[in-house]
Amino acid sequence: MEFYFFHLMPWPHLPESYQGPAWIRCPNELYDPERGVAVYNRYIDELVYAEKLGFDGVCVNEHHANAYGNMPSPNLIGAILARQTRSCKIAIVGNALPLYNPPLRVAEEFAMIDVISGGRLIAGMVVGGGPEYYSNGINPAEARERFYEAHDLIVQAWTRPGPFVFNGKHYKLRYVNPWPRPLQKPHPPIWIPGAGSLETMEFVARRRYAYMGIPYFHRRVFQRNFDFFREACEREGYTAKPAQMGWLCPIYVSESDAQARREFEPHFWYFAKRLLPGIETSPPGYTTARSAVKLVTARNDFLLFVENWQQVVEGRYAIVGSPETVFEQMSEMIESLGVGNILTLLQIGTLPAELTRRNMELFAGEVMPRLRAWERARASNAA
Amino acid sequence: MSVAQTVRVGSETVEYRVRGQGPPLVYLHGGLADSEWHAALDLWAERFTVHQPLLPGFGASTGGERMESIEDLVFHTLDWLDATGLSGEGIVLVGASLGGWLAAEVAVRYPRIAHRLCLVAAAGLWLDENPPAELFGNDPPHLAELLFADQTHPLAAIMHAVTDISQLPEEVILRQFRAMEALARVAWNPYFHDPKLEPRLSRIRAKTTVVWGEADRFFPLAYGRRYAERIPGASLVVVPEAGHMVILERPAAVAAAI
Repeated sequence: MEFYFFHLMPWPHLPESYQGPAWIRCPNELYDPERGVAVYNRYIDELVYAEKLGFDGVCVNEHHANAYGNMPSPNLIGAILARQTRSCKIAIVGNALPLYNPPLRVAEEFAMIDVISGGRLIAGMVVGGGPEYYSNGINPAEARERFYEAHDLIVQAWTRPGPFVFNGKHYKLRYVNPWPRPLQKPHPPIWIPGAGSLETMEFVARRRYAYMGIPYFHRRVFQRNFDFFREACEREGYTAKPAQMGWLCPIYVSESDAQARREFEPHFWYFAKRLLPGIETSPPGYTTARSAVKLVTARNDFLLFVENWQQVVEGRYAIVGSPETVFEQMSEMIESLGVGNILTLLQIGTLPAELTRRNMELFAGEVMPRLRAWERARASNAA
Repeated sequence: MSVAQTVRVGSETVEYRVRGQGPPLVYLHGGLADSEWHAALDLWAERFTVHQPLLPGFGASTGGERMESIEDLVFHTLDWLDATGLSGEGIVLVGASLGGWLAAEVAVRYPRIAHRLCLVAAAGLWLDENPPAELFGNDPPHLAELLFADQTHPLAAIMHAVTDISQLPEEVILRQFRAMEALARVAWNPYFHDPKLEPRLSRIRAKTTVVWGEADRFFPLAYGRRYAERIPGASLVVVPEAGHMVILERPAAVAAAI
């Protein structure tokens, strides 16, 4: 079991007077670069601190034109982390492949980070969120097709001797020959985040990559998706390893359950009610019409439509409480989902630096060791 | 009632409806609600044999996923005209919204295929000073406001009643998503236009009437004016108190334009 510290780099300063969506049309006058200096540097410090606390890795991801996550280029942050950390894995989950043209750029930048970090990169590849297709002009009806073709190009660029010709439908290159090549062989591990699209899970199963469940859904959605993923692996003729499955969850630890909720709840609702609205935008063709219908009918299992704290706790949209409570709820979820990569979201919304730091320390000091010991005991029982 | 037929065009099936008597009139529908048979077509059927093919992805017509640009739709339409024997006759070609854009694209390439052209609230152009409104991602009540001048029109009223699309029957949502996907494939970017169309409009030889709803909020009247300016000899009919769905809101006024 491995623990990752995931940062979204949210914009914590949306004014009360603005109650619109945080995506696509959220006026960028609300972004204040003067305050951005402190925000970025604080968040990078938190990522670097995670390594000191004993996390196995750190995670960053890509979003555009929004207040939810200020990382249009996670590779820039990944490059900083390659220098500011020494041994932890750097999971960039991921680059939205269809937004790069040619996506060879992704092969190049990922290879650079892998080499600079001494082989610590986890290469995440995503279709990208629905809103990105408004902000970048790429046709959402081509999103999946471009994603699969870009993936093929990148993996070939890493594994085939160059130069070679790549003549795809969307990408036509006569000289594929990227310098540098990645350090890890045959290439950095590939993680694919997904929100439950069946074809994405089948693709990950076929390639034996790792699947990361996109959060903010009710636990039963995670359960259904990971169960489906395991079945997809069985259909491919093998049993999925826990390391092939990642579960991302907002977590907050404090001295007692009551104190944890008191400290955390307002910052969590800022996230759910101010930063999430707009994320559900699903442009036409972005998923198959059938998947889109499935998402529409599953919307009541999405955090954006959750109304009260009891629902948050019951659906495990976040795990919040004393070290004991957090350990119990997490171990139960990990066992039930069968996941091996635990992606912790220990900063969320407006959660300030001081509380974030204490949350990280309590999680790393009081919860993580118990989960590791619990995992070892489980493994030896199984043996 | 019209008679629904299907014809094989290459590897695809095209559903089309035929009604009326007289010389052939081909109606190319838009992406929204006018793919159903509607009153303006009945009025034309009194004077013409009206043919309404359903674009790929609509009704029983297949191949929506292969239509990736307006160019693909042009060739598809030409193939259908060949398959139904209409390509040699000199037709009246009418198109609304997306269909109007398609009709213009057919006409600039093959100026002799139609002797009469009617563009109703046609997409296809882009005016920097007056960009078209956002269609994609709007919920039904907002779409109704974008498309209709009269919010009490029966179709607008239906759209206003849909406050939560997850409450609709699954097949209705599915049909709507498929239609929107077919639209996005052709019209996401460049957004509902072809930068090369405007300079080619001078090639059109058919006698052309441009029909526009005065209160069109999707493609404002400035687009109708631009079409009428660029197509040689074209006339512009402005229909008062009508929006982008002018053909549904004021069928008699539109039908009278030809």
